Amino acid sequence: MHIPDGYLSPQTYVPLFGASLVCWSIGLKKIKRELSTKQVPYLAMAAVFSFLIMMFNIPIPGGTTGHAAGAGIIAVLLGPWTAVIAVSVVLIIQALIFGDGGITAIGANCFNIAVVMPFVAFWVFNLIKGKSRDPKRLSLAAFFSGYASLTVSAIFVAIQLGIQPLIARSSSGTPLYAPYPLSVALPVMALEHLLLFSIVEGVVTLLLFKYFMKNEPELIYAETGNGT
Amino acid sequence: MANRIPSFLLDKPDSDIYSEDRGKIKLSFIERGINQVADVIRSGYIQWDTATNDGFFQRLDARIKMIFLLFFAVIVSLKKEIMPEIYLGSFIFVLVLMSRLNIFSFYKKVFFLGFLFGFLIAVPSAFNVIVKGEIIFPVFQLSKDYRFWVYHIPADIGITREGISAVSMLTIRVVNSLSIAFLVLSTTPFPDIIKALKMLKVPDSFLMVITLSYKYIFIFSKTVEDMHRAKKSRLLREVNSAEARKWAAGRMGFIFRKTRLRCDEIFKAMLSRGFSEEVKIYKPRKLKSRDIIAGAILMITGVFFIWY
Repeated sequence: MHIPDGYLSPQTYVPLFGASLVCWSIGLKKIKRELSTKQVPYLAMAAVFSFLIMMFNIPIPGGTTGHAAGAGIIAVLLGPWTAVIAVSVVLIIQALIFGDGGITAIGANCFNIAVVMPFVAFWVFNLIKGKSRDPKRLSLAAFFSGYASLTVSAIFVAIQLGIQPLIARSSSGTPLYAPYPLSVALPVMALEHLLLFSIVEGVVTLLLFKYFMKNEPELIYAETGNGT
Repeated sequence: MANRIPSFLLDKPDSDIYSEDRGKIKLSFIERGINQVADVIRSGYIQWDTATNDGFFQRLDARIKMIFLLFFAVIVSLKKEIMPEIYLGSFIFVLVLMSRLNIFSFYKKVFFLGFLFGFLIAVPSAFNVIVKGEIIFPVFQLSKDYRFWVYHIPADIGITREGISAVSMLTIRVVNSLSIAFLVLSTTPFPDIIKALKMLKVPDSFLMVITLSYKYIFIFSKTVEDMHRAKKSRLLREVNSAEARKWAAGRMGFIFRKTRLRCDEIFKAMLSRGFSEEVKIYKPRKLKSRDIIAGAILMITGVFFIWY
């Protein structure tokens, strides 16, 4: 999901960086209003948790293992704005220390994974849950929040990559950045996520949600509306 | 004399204990977890180690290196021809040599990732099914053209000149971007990178969050590694998938609790040291003339590459 350097044209990565910047600014203001001076350690620990989720490989049906991106469950547990900042911090650290994701693509990666994913997860969770307290419906909401958030995020990535041949070509017509048109990038990304990766994301979101519902339901932001 | 060894220790362990087959998950999920955590810790140590070497880039101020990183990453993304990208790559190679980095391990990492994210992902686009053009390597011939919605599969399928050009361009651009990023990241300690970001007007509170996260990622990575090792040491055989999922969810929940508790402890520690409402990271020292001269040379070289 991390877009490396070289795949996006400046016409794409500059506006996406601007969009992420706006979201970071709104997110920091909202969290500061809710948490005041406690915001720094709170966000840092949320980022650490978001990073560490990826260290756990979960066995999935079919005999393989996978790990989740975690942005969906962070949004359900801590709220979407906290997730925006926490997951962005993780993505910035990944780019600056581990070389995961490009430097010019930091804005695009943060927008796709740290902005789109948490909000889609939070909205889908609330949409399916409604006012119900039925455990089965809550579990369904948790699974689909993870499943839908990663799928929508992958579709955003596919669109950004797929428009590159339309944006920038050399004089001979050769694509200068990501070479696959929308007609290829979109179905490939959508299908591989719909059929595999999003299922892993959904399973991890469901497992963690069930764990917290059973042991510490008061900590779930989407249930209490209170991140502190 | 009767055997006193418990029977479960006398059972021969499954020789294929770390593999996955026939839909059964064995212990590989623990091994993968340990490897991922080990990678995180190793990357942190390697960066710290190479950043303290005595080379050209290590001696430069982090602010100059951050400007270099952003400036050259943008230049690499702006180039539209292969030759300027090759010249840029050669310039970065010289900088890597001057910084006394281990050339073999540096380029092994760069080329591996460049091959993976540049070449391998892009290579199908060399075919005329994706990038139309003059076929120079015919591969396959169908009886007729096929059209379906927006898709068109020509009768003659092969690798095109334009396709090769697109793949080469993308691969070399990815390799150059990775080289620039790894050059700066391998020669700059992470705290210095964060201080340098202050120059880019990143808010202090955001920088503080990144700094704290970075420190605690390593501290908690060790905790996660211990969890995996403890689980592994208690297992003799394959585990049921559902049980493994339950264990992972429980451990993630535990980590969540630990981070929440640590959040309170950090906050109390901050208060006890006189922390008020304002997060303030002090301004870094003034740039030395050596840094200014090196920075100017790098910038002029960058401008030359923009025009070339």
